[in-house]
Amino acid sequence: MTSSILAARNLSKVVSSAEGELTILHDLDLELSKGDSLAIVGASGSGKSTLLGLLAGLDLPSGGAVLLAGKNLSELDEDQRARLRAEHVGFVFQSFQLLDSLNALENVMLPLELEGHADARQRARTLLERVGLGQRLTHYPRQLSGGEQQRVAIARAFAAEPDVLFADEPTGNLDSHTGERISDLLFQLNQERGTTLVLVTHDERLAHRCQRLIRLEAGHLIDRVEP
Amino acid sequence: MKRVPFTRLFSLAARQLLRDARAGELRVLFFALLVAVAASSAIGYFSARLNDAMLLRASEFLAADLRLSGSSPASQQQIDAGLKLGLDHAQAVEFSSVVAAQEGIQLASVKAANSLYPLRGELRSAAEPYAPEEVGSGPRPGEVWAEARLMVALNLKIGDELEIGAKTLRLSRVLTYDPDTAGDFYSLTPRVLMHLDDLAATEVVQPGSRVRFRELWRGDANALAAYRQAVEAGLEPNQRLDDARDGNRQVGGALGRAERYLNLASLAAVLLAGVAVALSAARFAARRFDASALLRCLGLSRRETLALFGLQLALLGLIACLIGALLGWAGQHVLFHLLRGLIPDDLPPADLWPALAGMATGLVALAGFALPPLAALGRVPPLRVLRRDMLPVPASSWLVYGAALIALGLIMWRLSLDLRLTLALLGGGLLAALLLGGLLLLGLQSLRRLLQRAALPWRLGLGQLLRHPLAAAGQALAFGLILLAMALIALLRGELLDTWQDQLPEDAPNHFALNVLPAERDAFAARLAELSPHPAPLYPVVPGRLIMINGEPVRQLVTKESRGERAIQRDLSLTWAEALPSDNLLTAGNWWGAAHASELPGVSVESELAESLQLKLGDRLRFNVGGIEREAQVTSLRQVDWDSFQPNFYMIFEPQTLQDLPATYLTSFYLPPGQDAELVALSRAFPSVTLLQVDALLAQLRSILAQVTLAIEYVLLFVLAAGITVLLAGLQATLDERIRQGALLRALGAERKLLISARRAEFGLLGAAAGLLAALGCELVSFLLYRYAFDMSWQPHPWLLLLPLTGALLIGLAGVLGTRRALNASPLSVLREG
Repeated sequence: MTSSILAARNLSKVVSSAEGELTILHDLDLELSKGDSLAIVGASGSGKSTLLGLLAGLDLPSGGAVLLAGKNLSELDEDQRARLRAEHVGFVFQSFQLLDSLNALENVMLPLELEGHADARQRARTLLERVGLGQRLTHYPRQLSGGEQQRVAIARAFAAEPDVLFADEPTGNLDSHTGERISDLLFQLNQERGTTLVLVTHDERLAHRCQRLIRLEAGHLIDRVEP
Repeated sequence: MKRVPFTRLFSLAARQLLRDARAGELRVLFFALLVAVAASSAIGYFSARLNDAMLLRASEFLAADLRLSGSSPASQQQIDAGLKLGLDHAQAVEFSSVVAAQEGIQLASVKAANSLYPLRGELRSAAEPYAPEEVGSGPRPGEVWAEARLMVALNLKIGDELEIGAKTLRLSRVLTYDPDTAGDFYSLTPRVLMHLDDLAATEVVQPGSRVRFRELWRGDANALAAYRQAVEAGLEPNQRLDDARDGNRQVGGALGRAERYLNLASLAAVLLAGVAVALSAARFAARRFDASALLRCLGLSRRETLALFGLQLALLGLIACLIGALLGWAGQHVLFHLLRGLIPDDLPPADLWPALAGMATGLVALAGFALPPLAALGRVPPLRVLRRDMLPVPASSWLVYGAALIALGLIMWRLSLDLRLTLALLGGGLLAALLLGGLLLLGLQSLRRLLQRAALPWRLGLGQLLRHPLAAAGQALAFGLILLAMALIALLRGELLDTWQDQLPEDAPNHFALNVLPAERDAFAARLAELSPHPAPLYPVVPGRLIMINGEPVRQLVTKESRGERAIQRDLSLTWAEALPSDNLLTAGNWWGAAHASELPGVSVESELAESLQLKLGDRLRFNVGGIEREAQVTSLRQVDWDSFQPNFYMIFEPQTLQDLPATYLTSFYLPPGQDAELVALSRAFPSVTLLQVDALLAQLRSILAQVTLAIEYVLLFVLAAGITVLLAGLQATLDERIRQGALLRALGAERKLLISARRAEFGLLGAAAGLLAALGCELVSFLLYRYAFDMSWQPHPWLLLLPLTGALLIGLAGVLGTRRALNASPLSVLREG
């Protein structure tokens, strides 16, 4: 076995539709070590998000296996996968996925509270200051701009100190200037904390900041860039 | 792998609740629960206290809250038990005795009572026969009061002497009303009241003489219940306990119906709130799909996610229930303040029970209506964080509707305490909902075709409905239920009141005439016809005792304390009649004319007595009439309207079967007020006839009905208010979608006016459909209720056809008002959320 934190072996996904079975991901292999960064790129419908969902254990493959922190996800039930996510995984989403009823600080505190950290408030405050939102702690998501919301989401993702951070189009909803600053933040934190970063993006500039890149088309791997 | 401990989940749920509350997320659900609990506990309190008030009135017929009576004196132990519990105590002894004056003798019904008598109700007397009544305490030792008819019969005046047994007493006043015998208008003899201290000196009460000893008790309900429990087991065969409920048939009937109505009204309020809870819980759940998916991403298991939201909801429910119960408690105080003067002030304050019951109702409604949508939260796939279109697998409809039905059934059962009625209502309601929902879906489908040529506001408004026909049908059904509940309660109110009005019309008989001799019968009838517009027929009465059923002694067949037991302990008034009395209803068998196989004469038996004695058609009954035995065969059973103040009989024989036995005649009639002189004249013309005034009883019954009426009107207000608030709350549930749509339309350049018109069209149509459903449902449910709960005859209610119009107006208006926020939402802010 390697010391990889995340690996995919012969990964494929088949869904049934009205026209019959449709393979949306074909035999895919990859392997990531701690601190790696990987960009998954491709056109809409190429299978990027499907792959991300499988790697993060949000969905199960039809064939092959995903190994996260040495565990085969297909052998775990949904609750066990949830536990594994709690221990090893963080997320940043295109649509931010902040809870409307919680303010910025509380949104970041949430994963810490779930873990039962006594200093959740202090740690969340530090992280929000780190992402430049020290003055916006008690603001609700609807009172924040898109860029600010995504910074809250990033602070939340790093709060639980994950081994792997999955980011789904993290700059997709942002203008290019804001997007740039968000990606700077992502990579800074990635380096500071040695987190493995897996991101799905349309944005070639963002993609090329990653050490590695895979390009998908209709579920097939058509290009792979290794360092 | 570690689990999240419960305590952490709990504190998280509590914090989350606070945060959600601060963000204004929970208003609708909280409000719906608040209304449910406040309405049901206010009604609970109100009806409990009103019931107390009415019972208090009814207690007057016993002159006490609880009465222990027997043919032998109560034991010292039985008396001490009551005194120890702190109950007020009075004593009375009743017996029949010949009383003597200078002019002659007369059989009288004598009551010897101590100075505390009566404990409930009031004693009224007059200074001279037919002079104005005054309220006061009873005769002092050495004095006696007598009814005017005794004074007429014996030619007595105030101040004369009257002998009762060995004691001579001075007649000091005219007895006009003693509460506990006023109700018993079958007592034939004139009444006399004396002081208990004089009783021993009369030497009338000897071992073996026919005497009723009555211990009267007054106190709070708990002490009375404790007393009942303490003495009930040790009652002698000749003793029995009565409370206000047993005391009087007329009042019992009215109370029973009022209670069922009040329960039904609070059921309606709970149903309304249940609908609102269901709607807002569905919104609560739908708004947490994202949160649930996120929590699963963050590592919470399904169970933990569910527990987190479940705890949050439970906490919310508990808080809402507490505040709701408090509001309900405060609300009934306001109500009683408004009703002061009509309701006795000395009512004990209500206990915790209605508040607890209201809270339980709220929690059961929350569980039944909110758990199914909540369960969906456990099934939100975590993948939703990447793909927002992923919705939870819908719950099995069995779970969703099953839970709601069970909750509803539980509440209904608690309120009506009648399984058959509950099942009938639930089954009927379910059937109606399925049928009407199906019709509605079909209707919506056919609208689609009409829609293509409609104006823009209509297309927009109806498009909204047609896009989700199932949801639209559900909404119409929910609004329909609200309208149904309100219409039903209004409808029942009107008809219950009418029934009571009919039961006691202004000219209800207020006098009974007993002991009319056969020789005087025609002359008396002729005289009555002059005095009274429509006297009841004169019925022959033969006193007889039921001794055997199908050859077996009746004593072995009846259970103690049943009505049957009471019926066989005394002489029944047997009568015969050609025709079925107008207010009786044949429930089994045939009236005379249809041949019956046996040689025996036929007899028609009152149905409740028949049930108690387990009689069926064809049974042979043997009676002892003054030493002569007669046998008859049961040929029919009759339902008797005991509330009618008409002469009523347990046993009616076939004509020509009792004619050879000595009979007297009995009737009732109405005499307008102020004709006392005519009454005296009648009494003098027919000295043997006993005339009984039941004005006091009638007045008492009327005042009880007036209170019930008032209660019903206020409760109706409660239900209406609950319905309208819940309607608004329900509309809020659909607000999210509307805000989004409104913002989009405005962003596309739609004017406010267009949005308002579209909304009017949408809600108007929804309201009309709901009104139609409510009209149909109301007819069905009222039919079931009248038949099974209220014993009333049912007729269609054409005015219900106004409901679709009412629904369109009401829901159209409420819809436009309730979704104002959707109109005012800035397009920018909403689109940014997307």
